[in-house]
Amino acid sequence: MHSFIPPNQFVAIKLPSDQTRIVKLVPDSLVQLGKYGSFPANQIIGRPFYFTFEIQDTAEKDGYKLRVVSATELHAETLIEEAEADGEGEDQPEGSAGIPMRTNRQIVDDASTQTLTLQEIEELKKEAGGAGKEIIAKILESHTALDQKTAFSLAKYTLRKRQKYLKRFTVVPLDVSTLANFMLAEKDATRTMEMRDEHIGLLGCFGNVHYSGESQNEESATDSLPAVKPNGRYYVVDETGGLVVAAMAERMGILYPRDEEEDGNDGEEETTDPNEQNLTEEDNNAEAQGATSTSKRKRPQAMSASGNTITVVHASSQPNLSLLKYFGYDINSPDENHPLHTHLKTVTWLQMLDPAVDPILANRPADIPPAELAALKGSKRSAYHFKRNRWERIKKVVEEARAGRFDGLVVATLLEPASVLKNLVPLLSGSASVSVYSPTVESLVVLMDKYSTTRRTAFINKKRDLEAQTTAEHDDIDLSSLYEEFELDPTLLLPPTLHRSRVRAWQVLPGRTHPLMTGRGGAEGYLFHGVRVIPTTANVQAAGTFRKKRKLEQQTSAPTPTTDQDVEMASLSA
Amino acid sequence: MPSPFLTPGETALADNVALLHLRRDDSMPTVLRAFDDKNEGYKEGKVSNTRFGSFPHSTLIGQKWGSQIAASKVDTGSRGRKPTKRKAEELDVSTGADEDSVSTKTPVTASSGFLHLMYPTPESWTLSLPHRTQVVYTPDYSYILHRLRARPGSTVIEAGAGSGSFTHASVRAVFNGYPGEEPATKKQRLGKVCSYEFHEQRAGRVREEITEHGLDGLVEVTHRDVYEDGFLLGDPQTGRSPKASAIFLDLPAPWLALKHLVRHPASGAESPLDPNATAYICTFSPCLEQAEKTIRMMRKLSWLNISMVEVQHNRIEVKRERIGLDCDGIRGATVFPKTVDEAANKLREDDARAKRFRLGRTEDKEASAKEKEASSVQEPAGPLYSVVFAILPREWTEEDEQRCRQKYPSDKADNNDRLPTGKSRKQMKREFKELRLKEAADEKAKAQQPTEETSEA
Repeated sequence: MHSFIPPNQFVAIKLPSDQTRIVKLVPDSLVQLGKYGSFPANQIIGRPFYFTFEIQDTAEKDGYKLRVVSATELHAETLIEEAEADGEGEDQPEGSAGIPMRTNRQIVDDASTQTLTLQEIEELKKEAGGAGKEIIAKILESHTALDQKTAFSLAKYTLRKRQKYLKRFTVVPLDVSTLANFMLAEKDATRTMEMRDEHIGLLGCFGNVHYSGESQNEESATDSLPAVKPNGRYYVVDETGGLVVAAMAERMGILYPRDEEEDGNDGEEETTDPNEQNLTEEDNNAEAQGATSTSKRKRPQAMSASGNTITVVHASSQPNLSLLKYFGYDINSPDENHPLHTHLKTVTWLQMLDPAVDPILANRPADIPPAELAALKGSKRSAYHFKRNRWERIKKVVEEARAGRFDGLVVATLLEPASVLKNLVPLLSGSASVSVYSPTVESLVVLMDKYSTTRRTAFINKKRDLEAQTTAEHDDIDLSSLYEEFELDPTLLLPPTLHRSRVRAWQVLPGRTHPLMTGRGGAEGYLFHGVRVIPTTANVQAAGTFRKKRKLEQQTSAPTPTTDQDVEMASLSA
Repeated sequence: MPSPFLTPGETALADNVALLHLRRDDSMPTVLRAFDDKNEGYKEGKVSNTRFGSFPHSTLIGQKWGSQIAASKVDTGSRGRKPTKRKAEELDVSTGADEDSVSTKTPVTASSGFLHLMYPTPESWTLSLPHRTQVVYTPDYSYILHRLRARPGSTVIEAGAGSGSFTHASVRAVFNGYPGEEPATKKQRLGKVCSYEFHEQRAGRVREEITEHGLDGLVEVTHRDVYEDGFLLGDPQTGRSPKASAIFLDLPAPWLALKHLVRHPASGAESPLDPNATAYICTFSPCLEQAEKTIRMMRKLSWLNISMVEVQHNRIEVKRERIGLDCDGIRGATVFPKTVDEAANKLREDDARAKRFRLGRTEDKEASAKEKEASSVQEPAGPLYSVVFAILPREWTEEDEQRCRQKYPSDKADNNDRLPTGKSRKQMKREFKELRLKEAADEKAKAQQPTEETSEA
């Protein structure tokens, strides 16, 4: 994975100006880098990532015009500086007696210090070779007050000139981290909810998202044993255009198309359901009767994987996962060999809550007997198969999503997080993790409050009161008034925690180490984390309660229930 | 056996490691045993004792993960003590079995106390593990693993296993199958963590934990001083290379270990890095000076994209604050006017009451208060670390370059006919402009022609 620059895939190209360009490297095409020039894509395809190339003015005899800039050359200046710093160890530092410290006191803040005019620089750009190095040298030479500059401002000045004139670029693999930073810095950051690297890392870790086996229980399912719960199924609610789905898929090992080098035979995906296989084959027959002999290989059915899957619950009729295109997966015309084709499932909120009224699920295509079907026209027959397959596929996915027992919930949404958790937390299996990202803290504070210990205690108390009241009269307990007061069941999630994380970058150079002033403004970003628990139905008392029991007027009424709330209070006061 | 860290299944099984969640930030790791493995002498078999009661493992095994479990009545006092006559008699009466019987007693539910049975995750393990050294916490390792591109199938080198928190997080990140389980049809490499620790006892403890947690084969612990002996598995000179693509150094002097992490070590030994992949490195040091020294060494050894960051993290506590004049008697509430109006009302009432008092009458006061919005309190952050990242691209020889040049010849681009793609946007714009100017000129000429004609006519 990502060992060399692949053809026909997206890569990120970093320019001297700190800009990033995302480019699809089509063999035999030219890559344009604006003022930095252009080069044929073939000259970087197949080469290792992270190499810095310099666009040379004169091409070699076979047309090569790129030169790899070695690490030593890239670090040259700092290395020299560091070596000098070592040598100067015994010298008196600047500013002490005798040696004056250079300051910006004498510097005149206008353009007169640069003797080169704009025209001269423009001409230089046309004539000078050395991929911009000569221009920079000339500009530095022609600066009259260069010797007055402090080391700090000199470094800044050369850096600025370098960013402008040096014809270099670095090729970086386009992964989730690169894409997130690209969206943040160069695209509309709000489209990805201003999500940064540290949030993506935390979201995945707190969601306990990881690879967990490729449908290991196929055998047990066919052995007509009660099917073991498949591993690694996650609900994802993603309004970042697919960035969160991509990040989770990356953690689960299903984001990148398999490398050609790594495996030659890609018939690895196996459809689990025998019915589905039949359907697929029928489908194949119907569509292309001539090619049956060659297409023996089973075509993987979309959304067919049983484990290690992502189920996206989305608000519109189609999910917005447009960013997945950078990873070779277009949701509208999916590549069947891409792992996401089988492992990414999508469900709408309507299908989750009320599948009976869903326009697709409600209209079951009528059964057509095989004899009748054979009599149909080819186009009608394939339309029938298409509709039938789609209906069965969606039905299966929706049924699976509604049955629950999933292993985690990852949320980055514009919806009210509490409403998402209200519907999805009950569907998680015990001990499954929930992590919610929000660019702002308010909605998560509400969530924290709804799952707080005091709310939980109040919920349990009210529930028990209701139970005590109703059991005397009816058999079934009416808890509707309870859920009116409590939007979500606070006993299902422990212990709610709210995190904030920010990474600050530093510049490390001899004598010039300081935090970088590149921090962009915008949202801070917060994360909510909790774990699904299964409360017992029995009446459990917390240990270590010392609170006086309420005096009871009637002997028959239930004793005051106490919960873990009191434990925390008691231990705090202890 | 599958590890509950990676594939916990739905129920807790015997010999699984489990976390007994007592309350926030307080959980107890334990290995569930159907028998009394340490022979502690409880009648119920193995028992975990917590501040919220005793929990015989027979009440935990077979339960669904995440379940709330009630405590049991366990006689914690009399075990080990010689049975006195009275006790022995009592036992005979109550259970009818004598002390040495093998059969374990069925636990009796206690009147109070409970816990939640959780499967372990690297996050919960980090918070509950036995501290041997300073621990790498979740905000740090989550970011580090993300930046190191530790993904299913990667091989990670971790030096300074320490308390094993990073070990567990990284094994989850690289896991893509248990060794020996998948047949050889997949050529894909299995993810692995190679952990090095120079403290013999700590290395031994980490090894024991790995076995207890079912991570054998996924983590290889080596007792080694990596400054001196490098990163090869087995013998330091002739051993196998771990072929790592991600390296995490949590050492006091990472720059001393860097000399082994090159494409061609000076000692002539095999490189511990994957020859076909980019190597990503991260060092984790508390002091800026350590980071500076490390970065200098990295520059000398041709690492690229070197960056140093600090991760600032804090946890935010949310609690309701109740302020209002009607909060008298409510625990944790502040009796104070909630709004200016309330304050003014109170003053008015006080004044009125004073007047009435002077008149010799009293009346009850009335005030309204609502719960104030939840407020947030920030917890202090932990110590900050300097985290240094760098990248070492794979090696690229002249032969590789020639092979590539043959496969993707560069002059092809110049020969092909798709001219539009070969032009820069500026060029195209200019051409388009010229074209339009030309067209405009033509039209003008055309327009002029008829006028000329008419004038002639």
